[in-house]
Amino acid sequence: MKAITPCLLRFALTATGLTIIFRYFLSFGIEDGSSIAIILSAVSYGIAMFIGGLYFGRKDGAYLPVYDVGFRFHFITYLVHNSVSVLWFAFGLNSQYEQIETVYATAIIWGIFLTIHFIFFLWARKNSINSLNKEDLFE
Amino acid sequence: MGNEGKLKDLLSSWEDTYKKGQLTLWIFLSLRESEKYVEEIKEFVETKSNGTITCEEQSLYRALRKYEHIDVLKYELRKGMKGPERKYYYLTDLGNELFNRFVSRNISLLYSEEIRKFLKS
Repeated sequence: MKAITPCLLRFALTATGLTIIFRYFLSFGIEDGSSIAIILSAVSYGIAMFIGGLYFGRKDGAYLPVYDVGFRFHFITYLVHNSVSVLWFAFGLNSQYEQIETVYATAIIWGIFLTIHFIFFLWARKNSINSLNKEDLFE
Repeated sequence: MGNEGKLKDLLSSWEDTYKKGQLTLWIFLSLRESEKYVEEIKEFVETKSNGTITCEEQSLYRALRKYEHIDVLKYELRKGMKGPERKYYYLTDLGNELFNRFVSRNISLLYSEEIRKFLKS
């Protein structure tokens, strides 16, 4: 399966950049006790990631319509977000009021949803040949 | 609307439906003739189908990428007559076998004596 496509890599890079920016403003907001900074950074991050996923997802589908019910993009988002978060703490860039346990808890809860998505992905593979939708193979 | 106008509309509607799914057949036909790069495939399809099948290069590239992904065709990078290297596509054994089976199940029957009689009449 050609799982790693150019658009997926570009999305991973974009997601890394956005997550770093998000983490910066989140830690700044927590350190400063600014609820507005925290809410704004979270909402902006969510919107930007959604737009990024939509943009690169569509381009990816036009390049090669891999039938994975969005699992690859979800998995990359999970990996990038949690890796950046863990590294943020590892490099000591977090606010003194932040706890690494929150990052682990997020990863575990999100991981449950990712697992459910993975089950859907396995189910979708039944309707595919070499990861391409059987019904969208020939034109 | 006169009968001629209606006939034209009906024919166009039928052809629009008929042409869906035809591109694969024409791509395979062009590669049965010889290995080709994208512009050659496009030219073959448009010329040999008397212009009834037209295709954008973008959709051709997309289709070729899919067929390559499912192993029915491969490409070889070769220097063109002028300019950079080109991808010369060719059918794999799997692609040839797929084409043979598709033709024998769906196209060859049109050449049976009985059906040919109806096509002529």
